[in-house]
Amino acid sequence: MILSATNLDSESPAGMAASFTPASPIGDIAAWQSQQTAAGNQMLTPDLVAFVQRGISVILAAPGANGWPAAGVAVGCRIMPDGTMRILLSRAANAAVLAAVGAGTGLAVTFTAAPDHRAIQVKARQARVLPASSDDLPEMDRQTACFRDELVELGFPPDLARGYAAFDPSEMIAIEFRPEHVYTQTPGPGAGAELTR
Amino acid sequence: MSGICIDQLRASLEGVVASVMATCDANGVPNVSMISQVHYVDTERVALSYQFFNKTRRNLLATRRATVQITDPQTYQHHRLELEYLETRTTGPLFERMKAQLAGIASHHGMEDVFRLLGADIFRIVSIEAVPGLPPAARPASRPLLAAARRSCAALDACTDLEDLLDTATLGLERDFGIAHSILLLVEEGEERLYAVASRGYPTSGAGAEVAFGEGVIGVAAREAVPIRIGHMTREYRYGAAIGSMARRAGIVAEAQRIIPFPGLVAPRSQIALPIVVSGRVLGVLFGESEVMMCFSYDEEDALALVASHLGARMALLRQDPVEEDDAVPVATGLREKAVRVRHFPFDQSVFLDNDYLIKGVAGAILWRLLSVHAETGRTDFSLRELRVDPALRLPAHADNLDARLILLRRRLEERKACIQLQKSGRGRVSLSVPKGLTLEEAGASDPA
Repeated sequence: MILSATNLDSESPAGMAASFTPASPIGDIAAWQSQQTAAGNQMLTPDLVAFVQRGISVILAAPGANGWPAAGVAVGCRIMPDGTMRILLSRAANAAVLAAVGAGTGLAVTFTAAPDHRAIQVKARQARVLPASSDDLPEMDRQTACFRDELVELGFPPDLARGYAAFDPSEMIAIEFRPEHVYTQTPGPGAGAELTR
Repeated sequence: MSGICIDQLRASLEGVVASVMATCDANGVPNVSMISQVHYVDTERVALSYQFFNKTRRNLLATRRATVQITDPQTYQHHRLELEYLETRTTGPLFERMKAQLAGIASHHGMEDVFRLLGADIFRIVSIEAVPGLPPAARPASRPLLAAARRSCAALDACTDLEDLLDTATLGLERDFGIAHSILLLVEEGEERLYAVASRGYPTSGAGAEVAFGEGVIGVAAREAVPIRIGHMTREYRYGAAIGSMARRAGIVAEAQRIIPFPGLVAPRSQIALPIVVSGRVLGVLFGESEVMMCFSYDEEDALALVASHLGARMALLRQDPVEEDDAVPVATGLREKAVRVRHFPFDQSVFLDNDYLIKGVAGAILWRLLSVHAETGRTDFSLRELRVDPALRLPAHADNLDARLILLRRRLEERKACIQLQKSGRGRVSLSVPKGLTLEEAGASDPA
């Protein structure tokens, strides 16, 4: 879950989010098994390629230099034609993760959808830090707009959704990697299971 | 630790916006997941809910380190906390607080069957870092809670008797805190139950309604002696079900007849219960609720806890004051003619007016005693002192709650518009008003209605 409803007027149903059917790890496993990997992609199915670019929450972690895990929040994700995953994030806000990845550590990224709590984690042993490019911005605008609209649709105050999804384009930087492991992280029995062939 | 104190970040710990939790395994392989809430414990510690034995959990046990990123739902500022895992608690006040909150969140998201609190993981805060980002949004103005608490406490100080004190407490909740629906409950001595003695903002007062220890936010707050707060309601913390099953276990066949309905809101979204603790004993619970979600924050809880604590101290003080008995003030008793059969069941001290359940327990015993003395002697005026030592009532040596029972009894009679009424007729005195034609009937000792 991304947000827990707050300050909703009484017109909004108490369990707006609950009106969506929660996703399940079993559902994730079934979806994985029902598809081959997407064209040009060694790891992700078409279902997951669409999911990670839908405009949802993207969070990441790397082992930090000071011995503590480094945690970060990204703006969005693009899947490149060759299957590379490109995570766009704010530079200053994610300095520890960027430093770790730049120094050659592994990386974990989790994608979570607000309405049904579906969550997928991918991991890689290495990743590259790259400048953002001009064609990243329109796609990040699109994804954050989708994310924001979905939160509002769930009943969250527009200000909160806007504030939560806001980013500074001048701050944008990219991390690219090829996912090596994919896990379902949707809450429920089987959560955490690796999706393998 | 840096200059930021976790106390300043409690808005980010309300569970409005989910938090990020990062861990690594012993080989440095990272793992990251969303968590619904980071819980405030004290200025040095936070707690996370342990719901599943997953990768995060294995990493924690292996490395004892985690980093969480929290978000303020009003300013959208993010902070990162580096945490050291200390221990897991599976019982106790903190666990129960977190369990109630998680149940509310789970219910709100339709995940009751998935989210279950297995433990409260306690962490020491190693460092706090403000995450650089966009300029913070302005925080909306909020009610000045310290001023509200001060006004409420001052009003309690001005009360000279228990009834006034109880009503002033619920009045203060509405006037000073904007909490329109509130109930004050006291603990039934020697039993794990509370009964409502004052309320505000409901169609009926519900005086005498009972809540079992452990039932709903009120029952958990009383059992654990800790404030309990829920921002989304959940079936698990609703009232009513447990009382019925308790009565059934006790073998009371006609239990439905002996229950005074709980006066609470039909569809509350937020609830808060503050235990009233005096010298380590829970005397009662101050309860407020609202139809608005996430209505009560950490700061409201702090302010209301001050009021509840002050209320407890005032209650204790009033009890210590010897009851100075005034001369009885004549009360118009207005005797009417009405044939009513009053039935008393000694096994639970319940009293019925014809076939209508009125009251049970100590309050029932008191009413029966007053009516019996009246029938024998014609007296209508009674002092608290005589009731306290009346051998027929066999009240506990420190019948702390005698005053409260009389308030409850009087309110219950009023609410039922009963033909019997009880009125204050001076300090420490009550006056009984009964119609002519009352018949008293003692049922057999083990004879349920």
